[in-house]
Amino acid sequence: MDGPHDLGGKDGFGPVAVDAPPFAEDWEARQWALSKNIPLPGGTIDFWRHGIENMDPATYLALPYFEKWCLNEIAHRIDQGVFTLDEILTGQPESRQDPPAKPLDMDGALARLRANAQDFSVTMDKPAAFNTGDRVVAQNIPTAGHTRLPAYARGHTGTVIAHHGGHLFADAGAAGEHRGEHLYTVEFTARQLWGSDTADTICLDLWEPYLAAP
Amino acid sequence: MSSHDAKKLGQLHRDLHTHMPSDPALRVKALESLAVEKGLVAQDTIDTWVEMYRDRVGPMRGAQVVARAWTDDAFRTRLLNDAGQAIKDFGFEGHASEHLKAVENTPGTHNLVVCTLCSCYPFSVLGMSPAWYRSAAYRARVVKDPRAVLAEFGLTLPDTVKIRVWDSTAELRYLVVPERPAGTQGWSEDRLTEIVTRDAMIGTDRDLKIT
Repeated sequence: MDGPHDLGGKDGFGPVAVDAPPFAEDWEARQWALSKNIPLPGGTIDFWRHGIENMDPATYLALPYFEKWCLNEIAHRIDQGVFTLDEILTGQPESRQDPPAKPLDMDGALARLRANAQDFSVTMDKPAAFNTGDRVVAQNIPTAGHTRLPAYARGHTGTVIAHHGGHLFADAGAAGEHRGEHLYTVEFTARQLWGSDTADTICLDLWEPYLAAP
Repeated sequence: MSSHDAKKLGQLHRDLHTHMPSDPALRVKALESLAVEKGLVAQDTIDTWVEMYRDRVGPMRGAQVVARAWTDDAFRTRLLNDAGQAIKDFGFEGHASEHLKAVENTPGTHNLVVCTLCSCYPFSVLGMSPAWYRSAAYRARVVKDPRAVLAEFGLTLPDTVKIRVWDSTAELRYLVVPERPAGTQGWSEDRLTEIVTRDAMIGTDRDLKIT
């Protein structure tokens, strides 16, 4: 979707606040912990991201990062029936998990972090359409759905520098479909994308349906 | 189950933003209180997780990986071939690091990492990202004018050094392996670990200082 999240190459932003710490406020660290420890049984990381993308554009740009996470965690839990909107607005639980979740000690937390590792690779039946070294064009296919093809690369030609085999395709994942597509790293020159007079390049990880032969 | 209905999620976001208190700290408190009240998570778990990301999971992990790559050629080869596997030597696998890709700086190449679409980051190896990494300014500008952004970090690169910007658009995550500074021959892995900065592993720092 052409949402406010697709920021690459947008102009008008000021200097980067280079000294900003990971967590400026306690609530930000707590939100990170909540996101990683309140179960969210159904859904995909892709639909989770698509939820944030569907915030009102003005709100998306105005809210602090972890506040967007907070609203998105709540929205997805209401969507899945883990919470109701009334529960979150009144603070009064309508039901409780029995028995309640057990507390994690440090070793338990470190183990949960390791268990967060998720393998996105998929064995593919169909052969890869492209090889390393091939020239490819990022297709200009605007979609209202979730995509990981940034607008700034659309229509531009780059070179495949790596093939990663099949990976779960994000666009399908956001619709609840677990389907693999071949994934490539494609290198574009800054000259091609931005008219730069440097030798700099920009590398993107792009699934096969985003690409065509030039 | 998830509805996978984007319009429904958009409406829920509007409802929540309209009806919840506007202070973000109160919003997070409302989520935490309800989740604890409902028995979905224990308060102690949240406290422990915050402590873990403060004390145990951070850039010192990535620094250990880099220092080993500098001192152990076989490890360096494995790291460059499949960093997601190589970090398991340290037990650093975890959130967003399964498909980790290590990219090495050379005298003629500088690597720089961003996620323009959200804020993807190899959390289990580098800890929580710095706030600037998640900022709209960094995400918008670094693909288009990396040299101007690097200058704001105090790093000016000559035109003879090519910048490769890695935009983390799929589930690969990137770890920059900076060059080992001259004058560190014979240093132990532990001593080398201390000079590797977080920003050097993202690419907004390059020439490591010997301390």
